[in-house]
Amino acid sequence: MSIQNLNTFDPFADASKGADDDVQDGLVHIRIQQRNGRKTLTTVQGLSSDYDLKKIVRACKKEFACNGTVIEHPEYGEVLQLQGDQRENICQWLTKSGLAKPDQLKVHGF
Amino acid sequence: MTEEDAIFDASLKKKKKKKKAYDIDAALAESDNLESGLQVDIDMEKKDDDDDGNVDIDLDFTKKKKKKKKPFNMEELEEAALDDNFDLELDFSKTKKKKKKKKDLDELMAEVDEKQDDKENVDDNAVQWLGSDRDYTYDELLNRVFEIMRDKNPDMVAGKKQKFVMRPPQVVRIGTKKTSFANFTEICKTLHRQPKHLLDFLLAELGTSGSVDGNSQLIIKGRFQQKQIENVLRRYIKEYVTCHTCRSPDTILQKDTRLFFLQCETCGSRCSVASIKSGFQAVTSKRAAIRAKTA
Repeated sequence: MSIQNLNTFDPFADASKGADDDVQDGLVHIRIQQRNGRKTLTTVQGLSSDYDLKKIVRACKKEFACNGTVIEHPEYGEVLQLQGDQRENICQWLTKSGLAKPDQLKVHGF
Repeated sequence: MTEEDAIFDASLKKKKKKKKAYDIDAALAESDNLESGLQVDIDMEKKDDDDDGNVDIDLDFTKKKKKKKKPFNMEELEEAALDDNFDLELDFSKTKKKKKKKKDLDELMAEVDEKQDDKENVDDNAVQWLGSDRDYTYDELLNRVFEIMRDKNPDMVAGKKQKFVMRPPQVVRIGTKKTSFANFTEICKTLHRQPKHLLDFLLAELGTSGSVDGNSQLIIKGRFQQKQIENVLRRYIKEYVTCHTCRSPDTILQKDTRLFFLQCETCGSRCSVASIKSGFQAVTSKRAAIRAKTA
């Protein structure tokens, strides 16, 4: 028979579990920039550094049929850069793959 | 709530007649769509704006039926006419209206269901318990509250919102690489915001550079269409103009210890708003040119 009061209770169980649950914290900014002509560039800033951005970009390139790269920025960390207007695509892909929640995505630009 | 439904009931008969009249109108409009489609649309829009209260609901009802035709029409027009000043005005009002329509639909559905018993209830509901000794029911009290609310402020009958009307931005291409936002300062004035603040936001969102020229118009680098600028403006208004609590556009933006605060004049709420950050900017121009400039 177990006495409830004597059970060991970890007060931080919730907190540590919450952190494990979603690695992504903070907003993911998805921006678009115009290049020459009707070409555009999509940048994804703020993805958690726990993710392997190189693997993400590899998957994205294949999925959206575009080129892309990871850029190291002193202030913003690693930033994903994809060719063309991939804002819709990247939003859907990030939510579908569970890397970020829809309310964590912030789409900028027109 | 039952009281409200009763009001709708009263206008139900009128509604049916009205609908017919408007359908004819719509049919007429369709027949000479190609020539004067734009004008007809605007006329319908104007009628909407002129009418208030009960009649408004009727119009919405008819418009719902017409909705299928309209977007198609608009698209055609937009493609046909490059200077889509008129279209834009319609767009602004149309998006606003959509929300209302949905609500109306729900209300109408509910109304149809409860029509019979409501009519009996409402008439004697309000003052039924005044003379008697019995306890009042929840519904009666609810009715009383709504009645008082309606008496005190007749503007907000049936949760009607005040509309925030704005002139559309005038966006013109200058050459091939630049875009002019002609009524930039005018829009700043209507929003009661510093031009610099709006400028910062626009440039950060669009990820370009730009400046205000001598004629107080904004020149932005890059090609942008009116629709795109409108989208960004809408986002600006949502974040920095309308009150986050009561959605009133009557607000003041103050800077306080490096943070911007939005003070509402209507409800008195005060909340901080996000600072404008341009974030990461990728290199889009020729790297050789940049190197030549810096060296």
